[in-house]
Amino acid sequence: MGGESRYEIGQNAYIKLVLHALKHKTSAVNGVLLGRLSGSDASPVVEVTDSIPLFHSQIGVLAPLEIALIMIEEYYGAQGLSIVGYFHANERFDDAELGNIAKNIGDHIYKNLPQAALLLLDNKKLEALSKQKEMAPVMQLFTKDASKSWKLVGSDGSSRLLLKEPSANIVLMDYISSGKWMDIIDFDDHLDDISKDWLNSELFK
Amino acid sequence: MVSKTEEAEVNRLESQADNGGGGEWEYLSLVRKLKLRRPDKVLKHGLTILNDPKKRSSLGHDEWTLYEQVAIAAMDCHCLDVAQDCIKVLQKKFPESKRVGRLEAMLLEAKGSWAEAEKAYLSLLEDNPLDQVILKRRVALTKAQGDISGAIQRLSEYLEVFMADHEAWRELAEIYVSLQMYKQAAFCYEELILSQPMIPLYHLAYADVLYTLGGLENLQTAKKYYASTIDLTGGKNNRALFGVCLCTFAVAQLTKGRYKEDKESPELQSLAAAALEKDYKLRAPSKLSLLGSTLRSLKLSS
Repeated sequence: MGGESRYEIGQNAYIKLVLHALKHKTSAVNGVLLGRLSGSDASPVVEVTDSIPLFHSQIGVLAPLEIALIMIEEYYGAQGLSIVGYFHANERFDDAELGNIAKNIGDHIYKNLPQAALLLLDNKKLEALSKQKEMAPVMQLFTKDASKSWKLVGSDGSSRLLLKEPSANIVLMDYISSGKWMDIIDFDDHLDDISKDWLNSELFK
Repeated sequence: MVSKTEEAEVNRLESQADNGGGGEWEYLSLVRKLKLRRPDKVLKHGLTILNDPKKRSSLGHDEWTLYEQVAIAAMDCHCLDVAQDCIKVLQKKFPESKRVGRLEAMLLEAKGSWAEAEKAYLSLLEDNPLDQVILKRRVALTKAQGDISGAIQRLSEYLEVFMADHEAWRELAEIYVSLQMYKQAAFCYEELILSQPMIPLYHLAYADVLYTLGGLENLQTAKKYYASTIDLTGGKNNRALFGVCLCTFAVAQLTKGRYKEDKESPELQSLAAAALEKDYKLRAPSKLSLLGSTLRSLKLSS
């Protein structure tokens, strides 16, 4: 079969997701991960090259999600990229559970990619960033194992989720202090005002 | 719920205050009136006034309302010391006040002292068992501790008494959606539509929930409510326009031509698609081709 997959998340993809969560502190938010499968059979790597922040309200309803996924798959398909995972940030600080909505969406992505990743924002790690340097992403990784259930990866100390650029957290902290999260646009914003660009193409310029 | 003009006005006042152009009190009053949640700005601009003795005294009696508003914003931003200071000022001015007592209990909540906050709320309720704010704070308290089913129960009990509280129905609906309890969410939206049939937001939310539930009947009803949303918003609600397209496609998938579609529907879908194309062409031209391929993928008929 192959070795266990590693997950490498690019800086912009990573930062967009965290900034999105920070923009909507009082609600749950979600997003999709775009990228490709690379590496070898023995050492497969899921490269997360981009992310799209999706919603910050009514996350459980299907219609807006379906429209978003059609558009996202169309746009990224043309670049040879596909949806490789899903990101979720819970409403409450203390809630570290992977909820059913996340699992359902994850199941959908898993159908096309068994190495699909579910990322859950780790609020405690995010808070700790301001106090100490951290190289690892402030997210928890879940994958579907042979038992077909979503399992937390890395609780045994192994880290299979890595930041591609080691300084990503430093850049993130910079953006947080400058209030960059105000500029993040998600699909909800686009549906309310289509002149808002859910690709966030101007965000990092 | 806030209209676009109201939102534009509050944003204008906010950036004016942000850029040192004054008008903090007007901004804060509008935020209070519209019941918006912008704690970091309220805290910043509220403190600008409160920390300046001249500005403070020019408020007259409104000074105390500002202390309350800033206390709540401070708690929302987790600046508990600031909140404590504001509450102390209010305690001194209004000893024995129930309204200040409520703020004290909220501060306990903000600190995470759940049991003490609950005790404080219960004792406040002894004298005034129908205080809606406190009853709702108890729901928030339960939710904050992660006891979502407890929150649902308390909120449902609240709504049995205060069935006209629309915000509470919306909160309950949203909790149900987050738990994927769509039938129960649908019930909440039905209540809202019955009591306020002209508010498009409820029609849209109801349609979204029905679409999510799926099944032929729900999809057909969802389409009707997406259509009524379009009606109530003069065709300007893109979510509803997309909703119509999705419903038509989903129904076609389910029926596979086995039964006759109702006559209005093919026109409805093409009208919705045309409206979307017109809007994207005007306001999001870079996304027009993406829209085109999305609509094409939804026009597949059996």
